[in-house]
Amino acid sequence: MSDCKCGNQKTVIITACSGAANTGLLADRVARTLRADGLGAMTCLAALGAGLSGYVESARGADRNIVLDGCPVGCGAKIYAKLGLPYEERLMTDFGVEKGKTDITEALVADITSRVAATLAIDKA
Amino acid sequence: MNIQILGTGCQKCKALERRVREAVAELGIAAEIDKVSDIEAIAAMGVMMTPALMIDGTVKSVGRVLTKDQVAQYLKGGK
Repeated sequence: MSDCKCGNQKTVIITACSGAANTGLLADRVARTLRADGLGAMTCLAALGAGLSGYVESARGADRNIVLDGCPVGCGAKIYAKLGLPYEERLMTDFGVEKGKTDITEALVADITSRVAATLAIDKA
Repeated sequence: MNIQILGTGCQKCKALERRVREAVAELGIAAEIDKVSDIEAIAAMGVMMTPALMIDGTVKSVGRVLTKDQVAQYLKGGK
């Protein structure tokens, strides 16, 4: 949803790689949970990768872009870098999740969401 | 040229529209200027903050009140 920038609120955009592996699934679930918790607005990384201007310029105009990548391949971060956009990356594998091995349970999503949120220092909207 | 100003009608949106009209007039460009205020339509373009400026189908700026000179640069084809 679009926000009017008439006020002084910070705009935080969250994207996830949403890749095929378990780590991509976790990144997606964590991003959606962070959004539900009011820590930012989630947008489509695929749209950024496709270079759709509304998405690209929104990311350029945001105060912070949080990119959740599943693994060190870092596809999300690479998309931002390719577009010349500033970003802060969080890797799911940095939180003890093993690519191709760890089961993505509800408890794990909640735990990783909490730990990722703690690294972001964002006040809830 | 088609110019769209995306915004719900706040003061910043009105300021951007005013500067766009001034820049268009100064450059003597033949342009159709439309305002898009429907929030769902704006969101469908991937625009997450307003005001935003779209020229010929491409979003050029989001969440900023551009100066008249910045608008002119976009109108002249600059990035």
